[in-house]
Amino acid sequence: MAKTINMERRLRIAGTLVVLGLLIELISLLWSHPIAFIVFVAAGGLLIGVGIVIYLYSLVSGGESVVRENDEVKAISVPK
Amino acid sequence: MFGPTSILITTIILAVALISLLIIKPSITVSRGGKILAFVSLLVFPVLGGSMGVSEHIERSKNTEFCTSCHVMQDYGKSLRIDDPSFLPAAHFQNNRVPRDAACYTCHTDYAMYGDFRAKLRGLRHLYVQYLGKVPDKIELYDPYNNRECLHCHLGARSFEEGATHNVEVGRLDLIKANKLSCLSTGCHEATHNVKNLGSLTFWSTDSKGKTGDAEAAGDAGTGSDK
Repeated sequence: MAKTINMERRLRIAGTLVVLGLLIELISLLWSHPIAFIVFVAAGGLLIGVGIVIYLYSLVSGGESVVRENDEVKAISVPK
Repeated sequence: MFGPTSILITTIILAVALISLLIIKPSITVSRGGKILAFVSLLVFPVLGGSMGVSEHIERSKNTEFCTSCHVMQDYGKSLRIDDPSFLPAAHFQNNRVPRDAACYTCHTDYAMYGDFRAKLRGLRHLYVQYLGKVPDKIELYDPYNNRECLHCHLGARSFEEGATHNVEVGRLDLIKANKLSCLSTGCHEATHNVKNLGSLTFWSTDSKGKTGDAEAAGDAGTGSDK
């Protein structure tokens, strides 16, 4: 079973989380109610925060992509 | 007009568009320009949007409509339309002594989300109690009402400084200014929201040529409109 962990995948996950968080924040801005503030901070803020952490992690752990295939590890340099 | 809300919404939409580009084609981050794009769209714009959003929400929470959106506060909104000038909040609201769309905030500046950190924590606790806890039967201020809130506007005003009652004895004005003689609880301006007796009061309504006597008719206090 092939398992691929790479920077691009982390970027996609981070991007999806941040987009979801931003959309939640955008929707909460259409509503003037105490719950809207909680949704903004708790849901939107949390998703954006997690997305940013994953993005930052992808930066510090990036530089090379690791492809694990049939227990054989190959290091593939990412073009710069 | 391109106000703060428009800038905020534009920032969020721009961030979503740029991040969508990254999600569709993450390989663009291989180039230097792509890395900068990822940094800006995944870090700078979301942090900027989040900060501006918190500011926007706190600004919105100053609205009378926001305060009275919780069921427990609706009677306080209605009390702003009591048809009796001896009721202090009603007299201030109806005569534009406070901005109608920020009536609660103007007189309770140290309350909930507006005051210090402790007050903000209380505001969050109110939300918890409203939706997950038990709302107390009697709602009271945490601390006695401080004259400071009145003096924001009245300090220096001729009617306050030279008022006969305020100067009926030497030193009384100084006691009021030092919050040692309460404006509200010393028998001078005692009638405030009085929500327990709303059923027996009449209400001011600008669209029905006078009094309605129906508490429901006063429920739009939070709209801040003159309709």
